[in-house]
Formats: sequence, C-alpha cells, structure tokens
Amino acid sequence: MKRFVKSKEMGILLIIIVISIIISIGNSTFLRPDNIIDMLKGNTVLGIMAMGMLLVIITGGIDVSVGAMVAAVTVLVGKFMVNFSGNVLLAFIVGCLCGTIMGAINGIFIAKLKIPPIVVTLGTMSIINGLMLYYTNGTWINDIPESFINFGKLTLFKIPNGQGGMIGVPIQILFLVIAALVTWVILKYTLIGRGIYAMGGNPVSAARIGYNLDKISIFLYSYMGFVTGLAAVVHTSIMRQVDPNAFTGFELQVVAAVVLGGANILGGAGTVLGTLLGVLLLAIMNNGLILMHIPVFWQKIVVGAVIIIAVSIDVIQRKHAEKNLTKVDIE
Amino acid sequence: MQKFSKEWILVGVFVVLFILMAVLSPSRFLSLDNLQSMAFQLPELGIISLAMMVVIVTGGINLSITSSAALCGIMTAFVLSKLNASGASIFITILAAILVAILTSQICGAINGLVVAYIGVSPILVTLGTMTLFEGISLNFTKGGAISGFPEQYYWFGNGTILAIPVPMIIFVVVIIATLILLERTPWGMSVYMVGCNPTATMFSGINIKKVLMKVYLYSAFLGSIAAIIMTSRYNSAKVDYGSSYLLQSVAAAVLGGTDIAGGYGKVMGTVIAVAVLQVLSSGLNILGLNRYIVDIIMGAILIVVLAINFLNSKGFKFKIKKAA
Repeated sequence: MKRFVKSKEMGILLIIIVISIIISIGNSTFLRPDNIIDMLKGNTVLGIMAMGMLLVIITGGIDVSVGAMVAAVTVLVGKFMVNFSGNVLLAFIVGCLCGTIMGAINGIFIAKLKIPPIVVTLGTMSIINGLMLYYTNGTWINDIPESFINFGKLTLFKIPNGQGGMIGVPIQILFLVIAALVTWVILKYTLIGRGIYAMGGNPVSAARIGYNLDKISIFLYSYMGFVTGLAAVVHTSIMRQVDPNAFTGFELQVVAAVVLGGANILGGAGTVLGTLLGVLLLAIMNNGLILMHIPVFWQKIVVGAVIIIAVSIDVIQRKHAEKNLTKVDIE
Repeated sequence: MQKFSKEWILVGVFVVLFILMAVLSPSRFLSLDNLQSMAFQLPELGIISLAMMVVIVTGGINLSITSSAALCGIMTAFVLSKLNASGASIFITILAAILVAILTSQICGAINGLVVAYIGVSPILVTLGTMTLFEGISLNFTKGGAISGFPEQYYWFGNGTILAIPVPMIIFVVVIIATLILLERTPWGMSVYMVGCNPTATMFSGINIKKVLMKVYLYSAFLGSIAAIIMTSRYNSAKVDYGSSYLLQSVAAAVLGGTDIAGGYGKVMGTVIAVAVLQVLSSGLNILGLNRYIVDIIMGAILIVVLAINFLNSKGFKFKIKKAA
C-alpha cells in the first residue's frame, strides 16, 4: 500500500481525480454512468493499442506505424466481411492475423537489420498508408454485415444509469480488459516480459544474461500488430463503417497515452496500470472539455499543456529521487 | 568495405534517379517548367528537414517543427492582413510580418529548449506536447479557416524569380550555407555534434550543454519560421495544417541523408541531397503518371532500403576494424 502511494501511478491518479472534480463541478453530467460508459467505449481502441505500445516503449523503441496499421486492418476486415463472410469470429481472426503479420515485418526489420525503430516504422507507415489508400482510394466501406453490427451492439451486463433506468456495459470494453490482462501477464509472469524490461534497461547487459534480443523485438512488434488488429476490429464494431482516413495522427495519441501513464520513453520502465490511467486521463480531458463547453479550439492547447507539464513533473521528481540516492560507481 | 561515405552513395542515387527520370520522360521531366516547379517545391521541405536534422544531431527530435512553422505562418498572415487592411506602407507591413514570424518561432523554440535542456525531459515527449499545444494556439487564431488578404508584394517570397531562379531556392541556398557554417565551422556546431555523441562527456569537458541544446531548438524553430514565410507566400494564405505532411518527411529526409537518429552524426549536404532525391522522385513519378499513393509506398521502401544498405555497409566496416585490431 505504502509503495502504491509513492508510485507514479498514484500521481496520475491524483491528476485524474483533480481534473474529474473540476469537470464535475462545471457539469454534473460528467459523472453520470452513461457518460462514463460512452467515454470508456470511445477510448477502447486507444486503450487496446496503448497496451502494445507500452511493451514497445518499455524496450526503448517506438512504433509510429500503428495509425496506418489500424486503418489498414479496418479496411481489410471491412472488405473481408463485405465480400466473404459476416462471421464475427472470422473477422477477429482475420484482423488479428493481418495486424500480426504487419507488426512482424516491422519486428524483423528492426531486429535483423538493426535499423532504429522510429525509422523502420516511419517507412512502413508510409508504405502501409500508401497501399491502403491506393486500394480504397479513400472511399468508405458502409455495407458492414448485419451479424457484425449486431455483435457491436451487444452488452455485457446492465448497471443503473442513475436516472432510474438501466444501461448496458458495451462488449467492446471486454476486449480492453482482455488486452490489459494479457499484457499484464506477459510483463509480470513470463520470461519474455522480464526480457522486455531487461532490454529497455540495458540492451547489452540483457544480451549478456542470455536474452535473445532479436526474438524479443520480433515478438513485441508482432504483439503490437496483434493488438492493433484487435483494436481495428473493435473500432469497426463501434463505428459500423470503415473510414480509411480515420486514424491520421493516431500514433502520436497512443504514444502520448503510454507516456502520460508513466512509461519511460528511454525504456526500462512502464506498467499496465499506469498506461490504463494514461488512457483514462486523455479520455477524461477530451470528454471533460466538451462537457465544460470549452471551444474545440482550446482542447489541443489544454491537452498539449497537460502532456508537457505531466512529463516535466515526472522528470523533476525522478531527478529529486536520484539526488537522495547514495551513488556507488564501480568502473 | 566502406569505400564511399553515406553522402556519396546518396549523390549516386540522386544522379541515377535524375538520369532515369530524364530518360523515361525526357520532354517533360527536363522541361524548364518542371525543373522550375521542382525548385519552387523543394525549399519548404528542405528548410524544415535542416531544422529537423540539427535537432536529430543532438540525439533529439523535433516533432513540433511543422506546427511551430504553421503557427509562425499564421501570425505572419495575421499581421500582414491586418496591416494591409489598415493601409500601412508595404515595406513596414512586410518587415513587421517577418519580424513577428521570427519572434513567434523564437518563443516556440524557447519553450522546447527550456523543457528539453533545463528540465531534462526527453525531446520526443516535449515536442509531442508542444506540437499539440502550437496546433491548438493556431486553431484558436484561425478557428480552422485560412487567413488571406496579403499585400501583392509579399507574393514575391514564394513565387518570384531572380534571373529565372526561384526566390525560395535562393533563400534555401542561403539557409544551407548558414547552417553549413554554423554546424561545421563554429565551436557551437562542434559542441552540437559532441552533445549528440555523448552529453555526459561533453558536460565534463566544460561545455554548457544546456545552452547548446537551447540554441539548437531556437535555431530549429527559426528555420521553421523561414519555411513558414515561403509557405504562406506560396499559397498566399495561412492555415493550421499547411506543412503538416512535412513532419515525417523531414525526419525521413534527415535520416536518408545519413543523419544518425541516435545523434552525433549528420551532414548538412547529406540532408540537402536527400531532399533533392525525394523531390526528383516525387516529381518524376508524378510526371510518369503514377498514383500519388504509390509514390508514398516507394518513398517508404526507399527509406528502409537505403538504411539497410547503410547498415550492411557499416557492418563491413566494423568487421575490418576487428581484423585490424
């Protein structure tokens, strides 16, 4: 408990609570269950993708191709459903498979050719985006099969909506929970999870202990692709149509969420809980600013300022903590 | 193994591409029109790429460069249209506009520099934040629309020619020379490379790395403002998303030009040639009638292939060192 109070996650939680209080004073609808559920549903895609990005960032890498990947998978899945089958399970399999393959390509380039992740993913971003837009010409896919649309409307269970009625918790949130749990298990209980932290902390030492860094890289970029594929199918189930241009610039939002969640962009640190809180913080800010009737133009200013302030506070705290450590240098 | 430096490989690529395009479509690619239009288009990406490269050399990245440039453009446009409407003299109007652009860029650069250098946050995060911040401020000014109504004379910066050479190209050449001298001929430039190689060692050798970094971000933003002036003049208006597509392209150009993304290495000429390669490629493919999405695909592929070649090349180099030892 004491450890949690002092942890980074606590800091983010505090910011979230303060912002929530401010927003709910401004507009009481903010804390209503239906608003919260809408907000969560709208950010499941961001949350699921942040789980993959978390692993990538822990190793000190970055993947800027996720925006292009998720858009490409929505297009592929959409076309697949329109042309072949409206089977929901098949849609998920196709989506995750396509995502994994794209991620694996990134991973292989990064691991085998030792090109920096930001450059490889910049290249694949351009390639995937180009291929997708060439294929679709930017047109939307609207005729998603009924079976899949019905799946998107499913709810898990009902909770009171605070006004006497009941509101269902949408099924999409389940996928975020699953992605978070799987990621947590990978990081906490598997050898490869240890390897991810080790690689982020110090790749040379990690290699000397015997971790196969190439394998870890390929695994984690494939996993990034996998969750991106999952997110793409979930997105389609929410939107019930496919817009090839829906994800322009999305990669930076995913990175922002992970980083706000306390992951160190230089690698070595980051937790699933923190990332979830980071996603929540972004979600609350975007939702709250609308509810507070703050003009749309101000939203970016606030989000940008919060990112800068949050990461600055984090660094200042870390420096402060380092000062209090007794340092023993052995060379 | 490493007989050629990265820059010379790139020059080779440029020459081959140029000849290839010229052979494939001699009447149109080599026409004065096309050459001139390439010379008009190239400087914007070129200047922004140099702005990006200076930061990458220090081991950072400036994701806010295009949004700070857009903000400069919008402030410039704001001053231009207001003063133009109020009937102030042309000279003062344009001078004020340029000063405002530079001033805005220095404020943007100072914010980046302060947080990166003095607080010590990693550049990618800071500039991610400031990118959103500057975009927000720009949106607040324009409310999403475009600002126009500039004096006619301002048009010259982006569209005029001197002896058939486009003015933007001349500005670009001046920027190249200035950057070349600053980075490769001054003590500050030397320290920029040193910070990129090893900040701790640089600090212990008595260099104030905070000041060096601060100046890097100020210079980067300054170049952004020059690109902004050319852009606003060329489009005769200013809008939030002008130039936003240059962001990742400029990283690609810098890296393609041999700049080490981890910092410490990067030549001005490498970046310039890389920009020229990208320009020849996109103009050439356009003339050949290729879909612009396919051009994107080819750009991405080239980025990866060139880096793969660089990697294989340097691997051979390392191997040689081992044998010598």
